Amino acid sequence: MKAESKWDVQLRKGSLELVILAALQPKALYGLELLNYLHEFETMKISEGTLYPLLDRLKREGIIDANWVQEGELRPRKYYTLNQQGQQRLTDMNARWQQSVNDIHALLKRTKTN
Amino acid sequence: MSDNYKLRNYLKDLELYLARLNQDEANEVVKEIESHIFDAIDQTEAKGSIADVETILQGFGPPRELASGYVSHILNGAPPPRGFRSISLVRKGVSKTLYYSMFVFGYGLGIILIFAGFYNLVIPNSIGIWSVADGNSFVVGTISSPGYIEDGEVFTGLWLTLLFIFCGYLLLLLSHRILQILKLFHSKN
Repeated sequence: MKAESKWDVQLRKGSLELVILAALQPKALYGLELLNYLHEFETMKISEGTLYPLLDRLKREGIIDANWVQEGELRPRKYYTLNQQGQQRLTDMNARWQQSVNDIHALLKRTKTN
Repeated sequence: MSDNYKLRNYLKDLELYLARLNQDEANEVVKEIESHIFDAIDQTEAKGSIADVETILQGFGPPRELASGYVSHILNGAPPPRGFRSISLVRKGVSKTLYYSMFVFGYGLGIILIFAGFYNLVIPNSIGIWSVADGNSFVVGTISSPGYIEDGEVFTGLWLTLLFIFCGYLLLLLSHRILQILKLFHSKN
């Protein structure tokens, strides 16, 4: 059980960048909105302390953009959007991910039939 | 401890640990975290529950760990060239020496200046400032016989009390700030 839990963490860690880029693809989101969205998925429950430094890194790498937006009387929020470079990164990562999933499926299928 | 106090304390510590970023970047990080916390409080209260700031802060982890996620790209930058490892060891020693030297010098001089200010208040014109080395330097000292001083040679007066206390306070404040930063560098070594 403990090994499984560690594996879960490693899997989430490895796929987190892809997950964030995918979540930002349809529309711009601010931190809490993005966190709430990810928490809708069982394996994507990350903490605030993981999310914000990662967003900062992706911004520094130039694959997402960030803008402060003031909506009416509400306090300003920092919205993150996927830019052209981020879109390309998402496409590349998605292709690698699909390849990896297909490979693992094929491997598991062979193991099952043997 | 009130929720507001916990929040302010957390953000203050975070700002301190973000000292390696430039001021604008650090301010933006703190502003975003603060905005998230208030949004999270509003969200919890909108559901009819009572927001617990401590639980929200736990999600961010200790300020030092959170800050390390933001400054890691500075700390883990390009590795130093071969042979430069000794610089790190020297820096480690220097930062420790610098810390204690600054502690003694900064606090010591600050306290002496404030003491001199009060001494001048209790015994008027007992502290003076005069120039030496043809005006290239000046000396602050006690005057044993204030009555014998000729005008123009030595600056005395109660205004020196204000000057000394003000300078002493500034020095204590500056020393405190510098020591906080040195402590941060020292703990990272």
